[in-house]
Amino acid sequence: MMGPSITAYLILAAALFTTGAVGVLVRRSPLIILLSLEIMLNGANLALIAFSRYHGELDGHDCQGEDLAVAASEVVVGLGLIVAMSRRRLDLDVDRLTTLRG
Amino acid sequence: MTTALIFLPIAGALVVWLLPLRRLWTGSLALLVILAEVGLWLNALIGFDFSGEGLQYEERVSWWSDIGVSYHLGLYGFSLWLTGLTAVVMACAIGYAFWAGRERPRAYFGLMLFLTGAIVGVFAAQDLLLFYVFWEAMLIPLYVLVGVWGGRGRAGATLKFVVYTMAGSLLMLVAIIVLGLEQGTFDLVDGGTSSSTWVFLGFVAAFAVKAPLFPLHGWLPDAYRESSPEVAGVLSGVVSKAAAYGFLRIAIAKFPEPTVDFRIPILVLAAAGLVYGSLLAFRATDLRGVIAYSSLAQLGLITLGLAASNDLGLDGAVLQMVNHGLLSAALFLLAGTIERRASTGELALLGGMARGRPALATLLLTTGVIALAVPGSTAFAGEFLILAGIFQEGWAWAVIGAGAIVLAAMYMLRLISAVLHERRDSAVSEAALDLRPAELGVILPLVACLLALSAWPAAISDRAFARDRAEEAVRGEFRPAGERRLQSEAAGWTGYAPLRARPQREPGRLTDATRRHAASHHVSRVIHRGHFADRPLSGGGAER
Amino acid sequence: MVAAAWICLFAPLAAAAAITLAGNRLSRPGAGYVATASVGAAFVAALVAFASLLGRDGEQRDVSSTAWTWLSAGNLDFELSILVDPLSVLMMLIVTGVGALIVGYSIGYMDGEDEERRFFAYMALFVFSMLLLVQSGNFLMLLAGWGLVGLSSYLLIGFHQERPSAIAAAKKAFIMNAFGDATMVLALFLLVQQAGTLDYGGTFAQAEELASNGWVVNLIALGLLGGAVAKSAQLPLQTWLPDAMEGPTPVSALIHAATMVTAGVFLLVRTAPLFEVAPRIQDLAAGLGAATLLLAGLIALVQTDIKRVIAYSTMSQIGYMFLGAGLGAYANGMFHLMTHAFFKALLFLAAGIVIHALVGEQDIRKMGGLRRLMPRTWLAFLVGGLALAGMPPLSGFFSKDSILASALASGTYGQILLAAGLVGAFLTGLYTFRMIFIVFGGAPSEHVREHLHLHGRKEGPFWMTATVAVLAVLAVVGGGVQIAGVWHPLADFLRTSAEPLVEPSVAQDLITSAIAVALGLAGIAVAWWTYAVKRISPPRPSAARLTLERKFYFDEAYDLLFYRPAVMLARAWGNWIERPLIFGSISGLSAGTRGLARGVSDTQTGFLRTYALAIAGGVAILALVFVSVRA
Repeated sequence: MMGPSITAYLILAAALFTTGAVGVLVRRSPLIILLSLEIMLNGANLALIAFSRYHGELDGHDCQGEDLAVAASEVVVGLGLIVAMSRRRLDLDVDRLTTLRG
Repeated sequence: MTTALIFLPIAGALVVWLLPLRRLWTGSLALLVILAEVGLWLNALIGFDFSGEGLQYEERVSWWSDIGVSYHLGLYGFSLWLTGLTAVVMACAIGYAFWAGRERPRAYFGLMLFLTGAIVGVFAAQDLLLFYVFWEAMLIPLYVLVGVWGGRGRAGATLKFVVYTMAGSLLMLVAIIVLGLEQGTFDLVDGGTSSSTWVFLGFVAAFAVKAPLFPLHGWLPDAYRESSPEVAGVLSGVVSKAAAYGFLRIAIAKFPEPTVDFRIPILVLAAAGLVYGSLLAFRATDLRGVIAYSSLAQLGLITLGLAASNDLGLDGAVLQMVNHGLLSAALFLLAGTIERRASTGELALLGGMARGRPALATLLLTTGVIALAVPGSTAFAGEFLILAGIFQEGWAWAVIGAGAIVLAAMYMLRLISAVLHERRDSAVSEAALDLRPAELGVILPLVACLLALSAWPAAISDRAFARDRAEEAVRGEFRPAGERRLQSEAAGWTGYAPLRARPQREPGRLTDATRRHAASHHVSRVIHRGHFADRPLSGGGAER
Repeated sequence: MVAAAWICLFAPLAAAAAITLAGNRLSRPGAGYVATASVGAAFVAALVAFASLLGRDGEQRDVSSTAWTWLSAGNLDFELSILVDPLSVLMMLIVTGVGALIVGYSIGYMDGEDEERRFFAYMALFVFSMLLLVQSGNFLMLLAGWGLVGLSSYLLIGFHQERPSAIAAAKKAFIMNAFGDATMVLALFLLVQQAGTLDYGGTFAQAEELASNGWVVNLIALGLLGGAVAKSAQLPLQTWLPDAMEGPTPVSALIHAATMVTAGVFLLVRTAPLFEVAPRIQDLAAGLGAATLLLAGLIALVQTDIKRVIAYSTMSQIGYMFLGAGLGAYANGMFHLMTHAFFKALLFLAAGIVIHALVGEQDIRKMGGLRRLMPRTWLAFLVGGLALAGMPPLSGFFSKDSILASALASGTYGQILLAAGLVGAFLTGLYTFRMIFIVFGGAPSEHVREHLHLHGRKEGPFWMTATVAVLAVLAVVGGGVQIAGVWHPLADFLRTSAEPLVEPSVAQDLITSAIAVALGLAGIAVAWWTYAVKRISPPRPSAARLTLERKFYFDEAYDLLFYRPAVMLARAWGNWIERPLIFGSISGLSAGTRGLARGVSDTQTGFLRTYALAIAGGVAILALVFVSVRA
């Protein structure tokens, strides 16, 4: 098996995931949040592929395939919502969008 | 027979609801149905075998066999009497409502008939889930009856009533489910006993709210004040007895150990209710208030008798249940007639009703005097048995009960005096009529039953439990002797102090004690039983 | 004989029911005739029972008969049973005999009253209740009769419903009697628990066994004594009797002189076997009787209402009966009960004639000089008064002195009580003749001259004068049934029911008689000097007089000790427990629900980032849990 050990891949995946998570929690623009979500998903996908390679099975590849599809659909919906919000001249700031308070 | 007793009024209710008849026809139909119910009950009474044991008129059909629920009905002696009480009181209530006129008569009479069927179902159900179904079926018409046909404050009264009883019922439902699943069957006769404290408390909570037992009586004064007189009479007279019945049939019979453990707290609450209710009745400012608080006191007394759980206490409690049912209904109906005439129930504004209204005065006096348990009346008989029973458990309770006798005299005489005797600024006019024949027709049967019972209380006290062995019946969970599993082997029944052993009485025989007395005082007592005849003793046993 | 006893019991009840149900269809005097006839029939039945009882030997004078089982529970059966024995037959005769006379008198007295029918129904009910009491064969029936008698008393005292004072007096009488009922009921519970029966025969047979149990018999006897004291208006439950004079005069005569108030004495004699094994309580009964006779005698000295003087004298004379029964002189106590019924009813009914003639006036200060205007009534009063004061050869002399002789024969305690009894004899003469001299002596007062209303030459209607005449004769000859030491058929008759504990000797009897008669005469003499001749003005020490007039402040004490605390407690509980419970519980529930809802809704901030943090946090925790559990 060539290439770096699985640890390196996992560290990279964890770093991507964390970056994405922090981005979701801290950023105010919905577009950036969506971007961060994509980074998180990519991190998770990387971890899946790494383990799949490590165990020598194809299960991880299957999951990662599903994951990509979900990510793509979610981006479509999310971007569509953002475009609709900007068309209505709404403030693209999640802290100001609080109509659903209890 | 039992199914007929339950579903005849329910069928009548459906007919009344569906048929678009006018007020007169609706009321007559309802009256006819309820009188048929009374007749059916009399039929059951005649056919009942009081010396037998166990359940009679039993009917059983399997319902959900996988969890052990069945449609199981049956009557014991005391359930029979309580069913009769229901039929008679509802008949008088429906008669009164018919005469007084209620809006939306079809809905009203339908609800009353449905209520009758549901209450009889509560008394007859021998399966826990079936019991619960009938219990809820009993409460729903009551909510509507109080909430729609009540007085000005009916919204608040209904809300309190609903919240309190719902809370209790839900606790009981949880308890039923736990008990049923634990025992594998929901049947009351087949299932055994349980020593689970929480399940016991769940049942007690429901019954304590409905009875009511101090201090869960927050719903009582408003509900009794705001409902129409006959509904108040039904609430106080019959529905509270359903709670007492549940306490006896389920809580005490099925949970012997928790009953012993919680005996003292229950007695404390019952005695507190007795004194509290009596004192508040003494200072209540309106007719309904006096009757409501006296009801609280009497239910405390009945609970005392049930908690005593010996022959005296149990027989007395059953007798007092019937007594109080009749008395309460009569008092509320009389209060209704008085309120109609004076347009108020405030005691300070009443007075002088005795002059020129002999029927009203006589009935109120008779009912009031029996209600205060004047010695010689049936209410006294019940009270005597209960207090004698509780005396076996502890003398303090009986002293409190005896004190309550004096308090009862005080508040009842105050009520009678405030209504009947002269007063300067009375709101009652000279022209207010005496009791009309219709009013007499609904109140007189209740008073007549009370007077008949006063002459012969043993009719009920002797025939409430199989072979008049109340304690044995309860300990054996109301099973026939062959199947009985008396708890003497188990740890449970240590709390009951039995009466001193006495020789069995046989009619006409001189006991040893009497012979000794005779010898020492040179007197030979010729003891015989006869019906006004002077028959000589024949050998060992004279025939009764 | 048993049939006669049952008829005696139920005839008055039938009359009461008939009068009630007939309503307006029966004429007013008709109701009176029905009632009198029923009590008369009861008297005849009692005579039949008496005659057949005499025909039996001593051992067989004890017949019990049961109609049906009234109440039962488990092993215990309480029957509706009657006991026909000398004691009960004696009481039956007194109740129905004097009762028939008084009910007959009422036909005249209540003539023209609007509610006459109700009166006679109540009187018949009372006679039934009293008969149930005396004929009962077990304690439960006794208690039933006890309570019904109290009820009839309430109904009759409060008969004039338009008078608030009458209603209040009726309630007071009932409630004080209810207190006595409560103590009796507690005694019965003890009996049920210890003896297992409430039958007279059964319980008396076990009296010895019960006595071995320490406090048990004492408590039982004390409870029974409580009931007796309440019913007979003895210390400390005597305050209801003077107020009971608000009822019509025949009621005062029948219930509050001849019969109901003597029920306590009957109880002491009937349950003598139980009291005999509780000697301290029996002594207490005698002591209470002595104290009452003194107290009542003193209070009677300052009364101004003619009926109240006689009422206090009743209280005092019943004190004598309690004294006798408490010392074990049962026959003597019952003898005095009988003669007292005669002369006290006589006094009340004669007073009724006076009141009737003066159109309702009862204040003796407004009367005077009636001797010449109503000579026959004066004669009746004289006979009654002399009998009451115990002057020979009238009935009161024989009966009262027999009690005093028994006291002398009863040791030191008895002799202390004898002293009280002798002082009482002096007081009796004094207050009785004070009343007689004030009412009848001197010249007719102004009030009398204006208001006296006689029926032509007759002093009252026929029914009133005839019955009074009969009672006067009885008051004179009634003592003949027992002359101490010489002949005592009454004592012999009663011996099988209640064996006396003390038998005074003839010498003791003569001594006490002499002293008592002397003291009685002294009292009469003082009364004569003070009120007839008016030479010595009555003493006026104001504090003492005020105490007497306020009846030793018993009423005030009871108001303070019982009534006010009950009212205050009820008010306190109403405000502090009931109000919060009713209003607070529901408003508390709704406030709580609303608060909870508000708290929960605060978590819905509307901020996206809060939700995201929540999701992240939740996932992190779940992951931790998952990992740690698997580890």
